[in-house]
Amino acid sequence: MPPREGVYGLLAEFNTPSELVHATEMAHRAGYRRMECYTPYPVEEAAEALRFHKTGVPLMCLMGGIMGLITGYGMEVWVNVWGYPLNIAGRPLFSWPAFVIPGYEWTILFAGLSAAFGMIAQNGLPQLYHPLFNAPNFRDGATTDKFFLCLEAHDPKFSPTDTRAFLETFSPISVVEVDH
Amino acid sequence: MTEHGHHGAEAGHAEHHHGRNALPAILGAPSVVAAWRTRAAIVAVVFGLISLVFLFVPGGRAHLLRAYLMGYMTIFNFCGGALAFLMVQYVSGGKWGQILRRPLEAMTRTIWMIIILLLPILLLGKHLYQWMAFPTTQAKLDAYHNGLMTHEQQLTAQSKVAMLNPTAAWVQAAIVLGFMVLVITILNKWSVQRDNDPQAGTLASFDKWRVRFENLSGPSILFYVILMTDFVIVFVKSLDVTWYSSVYGLQFLVAQGYAVLALGVMTLILLSKYEPMKTMFRTTEQHDMGKLMFAFTMLNIYLTFAEFLIIWSGNLPDEIPWYLHRIHGGWWVVCTADAICHWVIPFCILLSRDIKRSKAKLIWVAAFMIFARLIDMWWLIEPNFNDAAGNLHLAGNLGMLAYITVPISIVALWLAYYFTELMRRPLINVNDPHTEELLEPEHAH
Repeated sequence: MPPREGVYGLLAEFNTPSELVHATEMAHRAGYRRMECYTPYPVEEAAEALRFHKTGVPLMCLMGGIMGLITGYGMEVWVNVWGYPLNIAGRPLFSWPAFVIPGYEWTILFAGLSAAFGMIAQNGLPQLYHPLFNAPNFRDGATTDKFFLCLEAHDPKFSPTDTRAFLETFSPISVVEVDH
Repeated sequence: MTEHGHHGAEAGHAEHHHGRNALPAILGAPSVVAAWRTRAAIVAVVFGLISLVFLFVPGGRAHLLRAYLMGYMTIFNFCGGALAFLMVQYVSGGKWGQILRRPLEAMTRTIWMIIILLLPILLLGKHLYQWMAFPTTQAKLDAYHNGLMTHEQQLTAQSKVAMLNPTAAWVQAAIVLGFMVLVITILNKWSVQRDNDPQAGTLASFDKWRVRFENLSGPSILFYVILMTDFVIVFVKSLDVTWYSSVYGLQFLVAQGYAVLALGVMTLILLSKYEPMKTMFRTTEQHDMGKLMFAFTMLNIYLTFAEFLIIWSGNLPDEIPWYLHRIHGGWWVVCTADAICHWVIPFCILLSRDIKRSKAKLIWVAAFMIFARLIDMWWLIEPNFNDAAGNLHLAGNLGMLAYITVPISIVALWLAYYFTELMRRPLINVNDPHTEELLEPEHAH
């Protein structure tokens, strides 16, 4: 559990995504790991700079898909073979081709929902309070035209003075200390 | 374009500290392509010679011709699929299409081989197609009385005689291949003219050529799909004259996309060891093509299974024998292998992002996908014949092995032609705004 009082992190504000990505990349190279980028639209390069692509979402999606497949196909098998066996056009009770479509539909349904809810859960949502909204420039700019990098205080490398100096080498518009 | 400044206006363009790559000085195909061509030609000759053995095997001649049809349809799919893809990428735009364009053009320019190699099928067609062996009403009736056709075959062949008779086959082949020659010639000619445009590099030139290619490609895609459907009905589906399926052409179209994408990715990955593709073929575009391969894998099983499910549900005597011939008597193993190789294996592998981005791994997936196409084509063609329908056997039927040697020989021969054509043009279409974008560094560091 991260500390709930004191400094949350240092927030650097940039005008362009290029500067943000550059600063993020440099911060990663300098050894910072507890950090996050905030952009008004998805910036693929920022995700790359954060080494963000290895998330748990694909695995959740896969597990959801497999669960859906087993559930959907299993339900069809149970219903047709044991639950309510009916003679349909003289076919065997276990008529596997007919069960494929429901099995497939359940697969994509579960996979899609797992991916969506898994992503939301991994993002820590729903979240009613986030310390960054204490910074007025973040409130105004993060969803319109500004690009933010936050180096968080619970990173072992974080220091209120050195980290600030480090961020200032990238000539941001501002570096703000954000409280919890 | 020089390296842009620190506060450049290009939003989303992150790499101001790296700058963009320079266009490679040599855009032609590397000399190694000539070596590939030699190897392909050697394979074609060796397997061609091995195939001759089947002339002296009982039942070998019939299988040679069937295997020839399988090899022919495989290369037809490469050429036609390349044309379809070429037109689609002109209409859709995108960097993946730009990097794939010249290999696709080279594939389409093999159309002359497609035309020439069709002649043996047209000339020897009476050994393949009942409707060519018994072209007239009287011949069909005699064939029925002599037990060479079932009553249903006789009646259906007669009712389809307007489309399925030797003259109509020549006419349809001429129309389909003639249309392909026309579009292929124009697209290839314009592509060179586009690069030589005196105004090359200007917005006016970009727009002029983009619109011109779009206007030709858009309607031609529609015509191609219709004509190609006719072609595969005449030359493959009519092997079983009694069967109906309205998704047949579309299945071939998807199979063409499946095969051509795999071949295109293989070509690009092999070329990417050398300039210009070393610089131009980025992981981003490879990843895009990997996703497209995944989509085609899905689309292929979707159509194939949908066709099966509908016919299985209907269970009508007109339709279901086609599947029974392909399931009973050992064919079950082949159709299971077809589904596993076509769908299960590529689908599971291509789920992985890392594999789609890895050159060393994706090339094997692509090769495997082409192998899967061959299983499918064999399964489509061979069970049409009485001696093989619902009865897969090798004992006393060694001619079946022609299905290995002949298609390999024909595909290798086609590859030699393809590599020749690949060497004839720069590998990159320069006068296209996407070329500039391909030179931008990727976001992967």
